[in-house]
Amino acid sequence: MEILESINWAVIAPLIFIQGILLIFAIIDWAKAEDTNGPKWLWFFVIIFVNIIGPVAYFLFGRKRS
Amino acid sequence: MTLLKAKDLTKKYEDKTVVNHVNFEFQEGNCIALIGPNGAGKTTILRTLAGLLKPTSGSIIFNGKENQDFRAFIGYLPQYPVFHPWMTGLEFLIYSAQISNFSKKEAKQRAENILHKVGIADAKNKPISKYSGGMKQRLGIAQAIIHKPKLLMLDEPVSSLDPIGRREVLTLMEELKQDMTILFSTHILSDADEVSDELLLLNQGEIVESGSMKGLREKYQTSMIELEFQFDRDSYLEKVQDIPSVNLVKVERNILFVSANDIEKVRNDILTLAAKENWPLMSFQVNRASLEDMFMKVVNQSCNG
Amino acid sequence: MTLFKKEMVENWRNKKWVWVPLVFILLAVMDPISNYYMADILGAVGGLPDGAVFEMPDFTPPEVVMMSLGQLSSLGVLIIVLISMGTISGEIKNGVSELILVKPISYTNYITAKWTALMLLSWGALIIGMLGSWYYINILYGEISIADFLSTVFFYGLWLTFIVSLSIFFNTISKTPGLVAFLTILTIMVMSALTKVFQHLLEWSPNNLSSYIMQMLIEGNIPSNLTGTALTTVGLSILLLIFSIVIFRKREIAN
Repeated sequence: MEILESINWAVIAPLIFIQGILLIFAIIDWAKAEDTNGPKWLWFFVIIFVNIIGPVAYFLFGRKRS
Repeated sequence: MTLLKAKDLTKKYEDKTVVNHVNFEFQEGNCIALIGPNGAGKTTILRTLAGLLKPTSGSIIFNGKENQDFRAFIGYLPQYPVFHPWMTGLEFLIYSAQISNFSKKEAKQRAENILHKVGIADAKNKPISKYSGGMKQRLGIAQAIIHKPKLLMLDEPVSSLDPIGRREVLTLMEELKQDMTILFSTHILSDADEVSDELLLLNQGEIVESGSMKGLREKYQTSMIELEFQFDRDSYLEKVQDIPSVNLVKVERNILFVSANDIEKVRNDILTLAAKENWPLMSFQVNRASLEDMFMKVVNQSCNG
Repeated sequence: MTLFKKEMVENWRNKKWVWVPLVFILLAVMDPISNYYMADILGAVGGLPDGAVFEMPDFTPPEVVMMSLGQLSSLGVLIIVLISMGTISGEIKNGVSELILVKPISYTNYITAKWTALMLLSWGALIIGMLGSWYYINILYGEISIADFLSTVFFYGLWLTFIVSLSIFFNTISKTPGLVAFLTILTIMVMSALTKVFQHLLEWSPNNLSSYIMQMLIEGNIPSNLTGTALTTVGLSILLLIFSIVIFRKREIAN
């Protein structure tokens, strides 16, 4: 537990916050999308479980090009 | 006045010649159908006229000016129009008008008007990704006419539509004919027959025949007389065959199909005979050969010759 | 102007204006933060044998700036290449351009609108990302002056400008987005190799921007090589843009 205390949350919090926004935007876009490249449900798990890279991968490759 | 003239237009891809030294011209105000089987080069010609493809050789003269940028005066609808799916129909039309150099205000006004004209005003605020095929086709026509072009070019405008959509688009084309010259491609002859004044028949990259509907009919038409008998057709078959200048008689159930060189004379002869001898006729008609037959004839000639 | 607005609205609606800057922040702050906590992390994992003394190297602020730029140069550049690969080629491939380019628009405007929109997005993401990095450097490592920060962003932005121009250039040649990305990355890699092999001849190669930025941060003034490299980069970008327009004019839009 020492390590948790030693971490400066003022440093980590903004980072988590940004990741959170990224995740939320990806999920909203995913939910609205009619169709994705590849199975839609798969992208849900990618976005949720793959940290940072999941949402980015979704935006880059999952979205149907418009 | 000649609106557009193609001189020796040729388009080659590597070793394949898709359009081969094509010459044609048409007058302002006409409706011209570019007819040909699939792969005849219709789309290539339209794309070349629209400036999307560069001709390998030859030139295009629009309104008397040779090989200039005349995009401002043409509207073009590809066979499979693709839009920005993230825009709404209204947004796309405003965008189309704005890139045709109209002010934002004017663009808006035109977009609203045209949406009504093509009948998709109800869906104007929906994203295009949710449009059906027929709606996209109409949006496609809308974007092609939004700047009131002199020449409207439509690539197979009705071939992908269901019968109702097809009827609507043909009616719309009838209307548009009043305001602009229309050049459209089709492989369906009845559509061409219905709206066009002039035909360009294309086969294997070459124009094999052209002219007005009426002129082509006169040139290629062979008529046929159809006689339907109530009974006893065989005894009349001989009588018909005996009429001078009758060429051929086909029999199908109770119907005799009679073809002749001088159809007028044969018609009168048959009618006189039938009246005199009181033939048991059910029906009598003179059929003109369909455009389809004419087309086959022309294409076959060009293949054999 | 209409064309440019369309690009901006498109990049907003497909959320690029949200996720690209956010990802740039994450990229830019990742190394500064993880390096700061490296000792803790290693300790927690138990990776160090008893008695081993782990000397935490003390990074100077310029070194940390370079860590941020390092991430942006790899993953950041990759993202820019991927978001720009279809900007023209994709429109030609899917057929929208058949409706757009038969309208009386100028090919120059079409290309420059695409270029400008991508530039704004890349520069915006860079500025926001580096602000994040700057914030962390100031609280974790030590001070970087505003002037140093601004000139870092400015000179590094030129590198991104070059990437965008390169991508636009390949967009006008190929109609396959994947091929555009491949050619862009290949060119960057070949240039980087050439710059290393012929370092004395190619002192002003755009690939050297980062190392001269480092030099600037350490020495505290703008080295003349940085100015020269910056000018070369701008010049090459303009040339690429001109070539793009010339090629695009001659190009056939339909398949």
